[in-house]
Amino acid sequence: MISGSSSPAAKRQKLLHILIVLFSLCGLADSIYLTVEHITGQSVRCTIVAGCSEVLSSSYAVVGGYPLASIGALAYFTVFSLAILALFGYRIAGTLLLPLVLAMCLVSLYLIYLQAFVIHAFCQFCLFSAATTFMLTVLMLALWKTRVPS
Amino acid sequence: MKRLIPFIIILLVLGAAVASAYYLKRSSTNVQPVTRPVNSSSPSGSPGAPQTPVAGAEPAHVLGPKSAPVQLEEFGDYECPPCGLLHPILVQMRKEFGDKIAITFREFPLVPAHQHAIAAASSAEAAGLQGKFWEMHDLLYENQKVWHETFDVRPIFEGYAKQLGLDMDRFKQDVNGDAVAQRIFLDGKRGHSLGVKGTPTVFMNGREVPFESLPAEKLRVVIENELKGSR
Repeated sequence: MISGSSSPAAKRQKLLHILIVLFSLCGLADSIYLTVEHITGQSVRCTIVAGCSEVLSSSYAVVGGYPLASIGALAYFTVFSLAILALFGYRIAGTLLLPLVLAMCLVSLYLIYLQAFVIHAFCQFCLFSAATTFMLTVLMLALWKTRVPS
Repeated sequence: MKRLIPFIIILLVLGAAVASAYYLKRSSTNVQPVTRPVNSSSPSGSPGAPQTPVAGAEPAHVLGPKSAPVQLEEFGDYECPPCGLLHPILVQMRKEFGDKIAITFREFPLVPAHQHAIAAASSAEAAGLQGKFWEMHDLLYENQKVWHETFDVRPIFEGYAKQLGLDMDRFKQDVNGDAVAQRIFLDGKRGHSLGVKGTPTVFMNGREVPFESLPAEKLRVVIENELKGSR
């Protein structure tokens, strides 16, 4: 585990990494669901809950021929893997986490902007993903603040 | 060994992720059989799980012979963009397969998701009372993008009614009348009893056609296979 240290800062770091692992798993589950919905075409169907079909059938839901949700799933899985590695003392993994999560946060902000001002509809699964990313960002910033000097 | 633990965890999660994606895909593409005949009059109860199928509004709006070997039944919402995309595909299928297929349209307005869905369904049904259901149906779908973003759709729908040469006094009365409301209610009740959760949902000879099979090239194959099977 992290450096094997039992200092308060190291314990807090360990806790933050565990929370990052848990939130990345939530994001991964959400984006896997959205990817499958996209692939099977279910997301494009209209349902009683407004918004999702408008958002997920828009041109912004596909990037380079791949469902945006699948790219999200890949990102969450990478965050999960790096957090697990960091938890087990792989320092380089912890260093890579911050830029990745910050990039995901920026993408989430852009996607919320698209939903609010371009598509004029909100998808609750996309909002859940954005909320997860924002939580990951907060946790990463907290981690950055409590980092143990090497 | 300890150094390998994180990699084992990562691999396990990767495996679980792939397995859950596969399971979700399988469960969402299952073709759901529906029992026929469907003239039961049992109450549908609350929307949700499929129950004993109940009859929709009668007489139903059917294009094509009732004896056609392929009977398609669409549950649609005029304000739903994918339904608008399916419309020309079904028109094309009718042209290609002629009297081998019959298409029944059932109203399934998604409220509150689509604010004009009820008004559009009412206009189609009111036109239907004057024998112009399919004409109004076509106009509503063909012009979906025109009225979809409009605040007050009434004048637009009345314009379509005029264009079709309907008796306007009767149309205006029927749009808000009980007969039209009853038809929409009964179609919706039938949809709920069949487990319809969204639009468009299409049944072919009692079996739900998977949504991903609705593009023209795939639907054509599905219909051809059904015709081969019925011979």
